[in-house]
Amino acid sequence: MQVDIQNLTKKFGDVTAVADVSLDIRDGEFVAFLGPSGCGKTTTLLMLAGIYKPTDGTITFGERIVNLVPPRERNIGMVFQSYALYPHMTVFGNIAYPLKLKNVSRADQQERVKRVADVMGIGELLDRKPAQLSGGQQQRVALGRALVKEPDILLFDEPLSNLDARLRLTMRAEIKALQKRLGITSVYVTHDQVEALTMADRIAVMNKGRLEAYATPEDLYDHPRTTFIANFVGNPPINMVDVELAQENGQVVARCAAFTVPLDSERVRKAVAHGRKLTMGIRAEDITLGDDAALTGEVYAVEPLGREDMLDVRIGAESFFALATPQQRMRAGDRIGLHIDAERLQFFDPATGKSVLWE
Amino acid sequence: MSHAQRAPQSPQTPQMAEPLSTVADTVIRAVRGALITAAVLIVLALFFGRLFGPLWKSLNVDESFSQTLAGLASLLLPLAVYLALGMGARAHRKRSTTQAAVITIALATVAVAIFYILNTSQGAGAAAEQSSLQFAATQTADGIVVDAIEPGGAAELAGLLPGDVITALRRDPITLAQLESAVAESEPDTPFRLRLLRAGEEMQLTVRTVAVAVESAGLKLGPIAAAWIGGAAVALIGLFGPPGWAPYILLTVSLSPLILGFAWLAVATVSYRTQGLLPIDAQGNVGGLTLENWSFLGIGGEAPATPIWSYAANSLFIAMLMTGVTLVLSSMAGYALSRMEFSGRRFFLSLTLILHSFPAVTLLIPVYLVLLNLGKIPLIGPHIGFNSIGGIALVMIAFGLPFGVWLMKGFFDNISWDMERSALIDGASRWRTFWEIILPQIRPGLLALGIFSFIGGWNAYLIPAIFSIGTKAANLPVYIRTLTGDTNAVNWNQVVAVGVFQMIPILVIFVFAQEYLLNIYSGGSKGSS
Ligand SMILES: Nc1ncnc2c1ncn2[C@@H]1O[C@H](COP(=O)(O)OP(=O)(O)O)[C@@H](O)[C@H]1O
Ligand SMILES: [Mg+2]
Repeated sequence: MQVDIQNLTKKFGDVTAVADVSLDIRDGEFVAFLGPSGCGKTTTLLMLAGIYKPTDGTITFGERIVNLVPPRERNIGMVFQSYALYPHMTVFGNIAYPLKLKNVSRADQQERVKRVADVMGIGELLDRKPAQLSGGQQQRVALGRALVKEPDILLFDEPLSNLDARLRLTMRAEIKALQKRLGITSVYVTHDQVEALTMADRIAVMNKGRLEAYATPEDLYDHPRTTFIANFVGNPPINMVDVELAQENGQVVARCAAFTVPLDSERVRKAVAHGRKLTMGIRAEDITLGDDAALTGEVYAVEPLGREDMLDVRIGAESFFALATPQQRMRAGDRIGLHIDAERLQFFDPATGKSVLWE
Repeated sequence: MSHAQRAPQSPQTPQMAEPLSTVADTVIRAVRGALITAAVLIVLALFFGRLFGPLWKSLNVDESFSQTLAGLASLLLPLAVYLALGMGARAHRKRSTTQAAVITIALATVAVAIFYILNTSQGAGAAAEQSSLQFAATQTADGIVVDAIEPGGAAELAGLLPGDVITALRRDPITLAQLESAVAESEPDTPFRLRLLRAGEEMQLTVRTVAVAVESAGLKLGPIAAAWIGGAAVALIGLFGPPGWAPYILLTVSLSPLILGFAWLAVATVSYRTQGLLPIDAQGNVGGLTLENWSFLGIGGEAPATPIWSYAANSLFIAMLMTGVTLVLSSMAGYALSRMEFSGRRFFLSLTLILHSFPAVTLLIPVYLVLLNLGKIPLIGPHIGFNSIGGIALVMIAFGLPFGVWLMKGFFDNISWDMERSALIDGASRWRTFWEIILPQIRPGLLALGIFSFIGGWNAYLIPAIFSIGTKAANLPVYIRTLTGDTNAVNWNQVVAVGVFQMIPILVIFVFAQEYLLNIYSGGSKGSS
C-alpha cells in the first residue's frame, strides 16, 4: 500500500503539532520519522492511524483519501512505545482481539494466532497475562497483535525505547528482517538516529512540526541540507565552527578566533563562491590525528567507546570531537595535530542554517 | 548453670566478634530499653491526651480520637515495658538461656511491683469515695427488703426503717442489683425517689446519696498474682518469641477495646440485660439468656405487625438501586470527563466537586418539593416521588453521584490513552473499547464504588427517614429509630439485636471486599483536572 501525505497540518488549539508536512511512501517501503521529542512524530503517526483528524491537508492510502476514515477501516497495525497490551486478557486474547473484532471464526483465530506467535517466538506464552512477561516478550506480543490481521500498513511509535540496549539491537534486526520478508509498508517513529539510519529505507527528519528533510540514510548523512539535520544525524555529533573564508597567497583559508587553517577542495571553492562568513561542519571521522598538521589542539577529555576513543580536543575556545584508536593511547593534556579532510566538509549559511553545498 | 559453661565452647562462639554480655550489661540494656519504651509511650499519651485534646476541643473537633489514642498508650504501657524487658535480655541467650530467663522474670517482677504501686496510689483518690444510700437490704419476691440502716446515714435521715420493702424507683419496678448499680453510678447528693411498702401501706420516700469512704481492700493477692504471671509471660515472649512478633502482640492488645465492643454486641442481643460482658436476668443474677430480642425475626417471641423483612427489603432495594445506577452513571460520566474535550468540562468538574462537599441537609426542603412534583407524573410518579423507594434512591443517588463520578474519572485518568488507541486501531468501536478494554481495567474501582454505594444505601438513614412516611418505604435504620421512640420504654437490647441484624450483610461484604475498598483511597485519589 502506498501512502501519500500532502500538506498535512495538525493543531491542538494554539499549538501547531504538525505543520505542512508532505511526503510519499512507496509500497513496501520502510520509512522512519526522526526528530527530537515533541516535534510532532507521534501526532503524524496517529493521523495516519486515524486517531487524530488532520486540521489540514490530505492522507491518501493507495487511491483513497482516508482523512475521515475511522481507524478500524484503515487496516493498519500499530505498535506503541508502552506496548498497550490489554492487561486483563491473556497473550492469546491480546493477539486474537483484532480477529475477534473482524468476526473471524474461532478455529481460524486459533490457527492465525498460533502462526503469528510462532513467527514471533512466543508460542509458549499464549496462556500468560501481559504482566507475567518480560519487556522483550511484551514487545513481541504487541508486534504479533499488529501483524495478525495482515495489515496494509504497520505503524511503530518508538517501539524499542523501553528495552535494554542489547535487546534493542536484536529487536531492531528482527523487525527489519520481518518487514522485508512480509513487504508491509511501514512507518517507524524514533528519536534515535542510529535506529533510523540502520533500519529505514528513507528517513523523514522532523523539527518543530515541520519536515526538515526526507531522504535515504546515506544522503542524509553525506548531504545534510540544514544544520539541524547535520547536528541530529551522526554520532558523535558533527563539529560546527563559525569561520570566515578568505583568500591568502592564492589559497583559501578558514579563519576564526581560535585558529586559521588553509583548506583546498571542490566543496571549499563552492562555498567561497557563496559567501565569506559560513558555518563549517566537520564530522569526527573526517579528522585524522597526526604530528605535522596545520592545526594543533590539546586533548581535553578522552571517552573510551571500546572499539575507539572519542576525544574532546580544544583549540582555543573551540571544541572538536575526534576519534582515535585505543592503541594511540591518548591522554588528557596531550597536544596533537589535526588533519581535516577538506573534501568532506559541510558549509552552512549561518543566518538561515541552510547548506550552501546542497539544495 | 552448666549451660553457661558449655556455651563458650560451642563451635559458633569463636567467630562471634561481639563479646558475650555479662549479667550487669544485660540488666542495664533491658532496663534502658524498657525505660525508653515507657518514655515514648508516656510522651505519646501526653501528646495526644494533653496537647492535642484541648486543641481539638477548641476547634470543636471530636476529641474522642485523641482520648482513644491516649487511653491506648497507657493501656499498652505495662505490656510494652514487659516486652521491652524481655527483648532487652535477648542477647544474653547466647551466653545462657536460663540466666536470660531468670533476669527477665526478675526484672518483670520489679516492673509489676512498680506498676502495682503506681496503680494503687493513683487509684486511691478516685476509688476512696463512692455514692451510697447507707442501708443494707436483700432481694425477695416482694421487693427489696431493708435489713439494716446505718445510724446517722442518709437512709436514716430520710426516714427509712428496717423492714420496709422497696418496690420501685419513681414509677419503675426495680431490683436490688439495679438499684445498687444506679446508686453506685450516681453523683453524690442525687435524689432517689423510692416507692415502698411499710406494713402493707404504700408510700414514697426520697433518699439523697452521700459520698462514703470505701475501706481499702488491702493487698488483694489474686490480681497481683495474675498481673505477675501475665507480666512475666509477656516478658518471656519478648525474650523467646520470634523478633517479628512484638508488633503483632501490641496490635492485638490495642485492638482489644474494639473486640470487646463487638463481643458486647453479640452478648447483648441474647440477654435480658447485661452487666459488663455478663448477661443478667431480671433479678440481677448471671443468666437470663433470651431470644426475645430477636422476636422481630419470628423467633423467641411475638413478631411485630410489620415484619422486619419488609424493612430489610426496602433497605436492599435502596442499596441495589443506588449501586446499579451509581455504577452505570459514574463510570460513563467519569469516562467522558477523563477522555473527551467538550465545552463546559472544567465547569462541570468544579461543580461536581462543590456538590460533593455540599451538606445534603441544606437541600432537604427543595428536594422534598421536587419529589412531591415528581410524584405527580402519571404512571411512574408513585414510584419515584415522595414516600417511595424509587424516590429515596433517586435522592441518594443524586447526592452520591459527584463522588462516584470523580472517583471513576480518577481511575480512568490512570489508564493510558494508548489502550483506547490500540483498541480502536484493532477495529473496536468506541463502545466496545469502553466495555471490553477500559472497563475491565478499572474493575477494582468499580467494585470499590459498588460496595461503597451498597453500604451507603443499606445504612442510609437521613434521606429515608425524611422522605418516607409510615412503613411503606422505611428501611432498617428508620425502623431502629422507631424502636427508640419517645412513648414506650426502650428495649435497648432489642435495638442492638436489630442493629446486629442490619450489620450482618455489611460484615460479610467487608470480609470479601476490604481490599477493593482500599482502592478508593489509592487509585481514585490521583485524579485531577
Ligand atoms: N492531544 C494533544 N493536545 C495538545 N497538544 C498536543 C497533543 N498531542 C500532542 N500535543 C503537542 O504536540 C506536539 C507534538 O507532540 P508529539 O507528536 O507527541 O511529539 P513526538 O511524538 O515527536 O515527541 C507537542 O508539543 C505536544 O505537546
Ligand atoms: Mg512521541
